Amino acid sequence: MDPLTAAMRIAGSGLDAQSNRLRVVSENIANSQSTSRVAGGDPYQRKTISFGAELDRAAGVNLIKANQVGLDYSEFPIEFDPGNSAANDLGYVKMPNVNVLVEMADMREANRSYEANLQVVKQVRDLVSMTIELMRPS
Amino acid sequence: MIDPITAAALGVPSLTTDPARASAITSTQTAAANGAGSFADVLAQVGETTIDKLNTAEAAAIGGIRGDTGPREVAEAVMSAEQSLQIAIAVRDKVVSAYLEISRMAI
Repeated sequence: MDPLTAAMRIAGSGLDAQSNRLRVVSENIANSQSTSRVAGGDPYQRKTISFGAELDRAAGVNLIKANQVGLDYSEFPIEFDPGNSAANDLGYVKMPNVNVLVEMADMREANRSYEANLQVVKQVRDLVSMTIELMRPS
Repeated sequence: MIDPITAAALGVPSLTTDPARASAITSTQTAAANGAGSFADVLAQVGETTIDKLNTAEAAAIGGIRGDTGPREVAEAVMSAEQSLQIAIAVRDKVVSAYLEISRMAI
């Protein structure tokens, strides 16, 4: 495979992976206050995502692939809120183990990685255009 | 008449690393050795790949409008089609200018 085309494909897989990460982050942020539907039940559990290199045998390059979305098994913080429908007998509610600040940092990192991959795509496209430009009469 | 153009095409690495086009160029050379009108075959092949990619881009764009395809896939397909079209136009310009050059030749 043409190296420039391969570079374009790799950057494309990077864009895909980072958009998946952003999806997980948005799920966590949106559900950062989601409590259980039943009294004393578990609230929304934070989701995590990890990435792995994946060999594309046809092109002979390492693409990036998002691994399966996992769960964060850390403790749920407890709040005293007797009016909540998810409160247990003593009036305590389990809140999701989502730290919005952590999610924000993760989102920023996903954003930066996405931008870096976009830059690669742009660069490759410019190089290919310039190479084709060679054939044009000046 | 074909030799300088083929040589120029072989000088550009991105053309020769693409297996399909490299084989097309080799077939041009062998056919040119046989004296057949094979440069037209190469042009036809370039045109076919261009049309294929344009069709793919069109399908991706429609998918994007309908929400089936993500913006990344649409952008990738459209960019690939654009590149193919640019190559086709550049090759066509070169061919036309080559014919003009020949027509201006003093006899």
